[in-house]
Amino acid sequence: MSCSCLSKKLIAGVVLSLFLSMTSGSQIQPFVKLSVRDYEDFSRIIIEPSFPLSFEIEKGSSFLLVKIAIDVPFRIQKDPFESRIVRSFGWTKGRDYYILTIKTKPVDFSYDYFVLNNPTQLVIDFYEVDEEGRRGREADKEIKSRLDSALSREKEDSAPQEIKTIIVDPGHGGMEPGAKGKFGTLEKDITLAIALKLKTFIERNMPVRVVLTRTGDTSVSLERRAAIANYNKADLFVSIHANSSFRKDAHGSETFFLSNESTDDEARRLAYLENNPADFDEGIGGDSQDELTMILWDMAQSAYLKESSTFAETIQGELNFLLRTKDRGIKQAPFKVLTGVACPAVLVEIAFISNPEEERKMKTEWFQNNVVEAIYRGLENYINLYYRK
Amino acid sequence: MDRKKIATLGFLFVVLVVLAVIFFKSGIKEKILPTLPAPPPEVEPLTQPGLTRTVVLFFLSEEDTFLHPEEREIPATQSVVREAKQTVEELIKGSKKGYISPFPPEAKLRELYITPQGVAYVDFTKEIVEKHLSGSSAEISTIFSVVNSLAYNFDSINKVFILIEGRERETLGGHINLSRPFLPLYDLIAK
Repeated sequence: MSCSCLSKKLIAGVVLSLFLSMTSGSQIQPFVKLSVRDYEDFSRIIIEPSFPLSFEIEKGSSFLLVKIAIDVPFRIQKDPFESRIVRSFGWTKGRDYYILTIKTKPVDFSYDYFVLNNPTQLVIDFYEVDEEGRRGREADKEIKSRLDSALSREKEDSAPQEIKTIIVDPGHGGMEPGAKGKFGTLEKDITLAIALKLKTFIERNMPVRVVLTRTGDTSVSLERRAAIANYNKADLFVSIHANSSFRKDAHGSETFFLSNESTDDEARRLAYLENNPADFDEGIGGDSQDELTMILWDMAQSAYLKESSTFAETIQGELNFLLRTKDRGIKQAPFKVLTGVACPAVLVEIAFISNPEEERKMKTEWFQNNVVEAIYRGLENYINLYYRK
Repeated sequence: MDRKKIATLGFLFVVLVVLAVIFFKSGIKEKILPTLPAPPPEVEPLTQPGLTRTVVLFFLSEEDTFLHPEEREIPATQSVVREAKQTVEELIKGSKKGYISPFPPEAKLRELYITPQGVAYVDFTKEIVEKHLSGSSAEISTIFSVVNSLAYNFDSINKVFILIEGRERETLGGHINLSRPFLPLYDLIAK
């Protein structure tokens, strides 16, 4: 008898503790409810957390990031959905925050958001940017096919026949002035002045279209600059900057191309292929297509490093000759603006704005015209090398 | 009778366990990819009074475009994290030999931690962005002064990831991509 009492108690204890752990588990663990619904001209996402909401939103091309401050794990409740604009959700854990990545079908979109209380809900409305959204989807396909051929290149077969579009990217702009000179010259003003001149000069002398990533004093994100190049099916990309150093004496011109991160990128590509072996045999569908697009966009430039290096050399040679500046050579560095560009791409540092003598020079017509001519000649030399054999 | 009771209760218990397992294993599963590892618990380092170790810091010089080494004594501890922090703090303090510091003087180190994979997360205050010169060369100097100084002195650090106010940031001033960890670039060091 005593034995059965003991086991009863034991069992009751176990049952009670199980019960407690179940209820306490569901009470303590916070959760986030996600819902998506399409309306006539927008898609709405509602994010409803069970905890006080502190968040930041950041837009990228084909995704929106919502950074939510919380440092404990939480459950996610989400019903299946169908949406014109929203493609998928992803979560990334940070130190004391989680990032919700909302991937969108159009590369470009606009959004609005507001917060409702009781219960707390973050409401984000997504709108399609028609023209660009459509072009973005086309550009995606284009990039993918170009990258596929670039990655397994039979050069003779796939080399483009002629240059149609050149992107000129005036560094910085708007809220982001870039480096400042001692006499108050701003990098963003110099780069725009040169870019506008360069566009006119190229279009007058070559049968190509030049697209600027900005034409006025406006803020344009680095990712958007790459996206503009890719939407427009750029054949060449030139970013214009003025340099700055902690060394007072630093002077001269240099041309950068992206540093080789191919070991990492290659590893990621192989990892992707290992996890999704069917993709490359039978084409790609659904969500995995999105993942592939993201990986390829991220590593777009790594397929063009060899051409970019030649392009940098052809420009650098002309720069020093025409500007009579010190030759700092061609260099590689992980420039954010270059990583997503799917064509040969360089970043030209025309001279040092932090050096008072060069600051004064770069404001002159003579200097600016020579930069324009040097880049133009570099372009011409590059085109002669690659396109007119 | 007792046996029957025990058997019934045992059966109920098994059912409960099965239900509990189903309860905990079911539900929508979201894959959460960790990017930033949690800082390892801070172990109070054993300082060995009077003992120091020599570290090499890298600064700029007016002479050329390279990074120049300067030796510095820091208190020896048994914590790599503690020594790495001191190294970065000494770096921010600047050179004692007249080299140029590639840091805004207002910038401070907030936090530093090292993952088992050898990535050092170095977290600076916002001044490193706000007071930065924001030119390509300036950004490269700041970044690789930190990256080279850490990787050169500590075998357990292979890569360095720079954070600002505890967060990832795209760039310091519109140029160099901070969203990936940096490998050291010893080519930048003067021969």
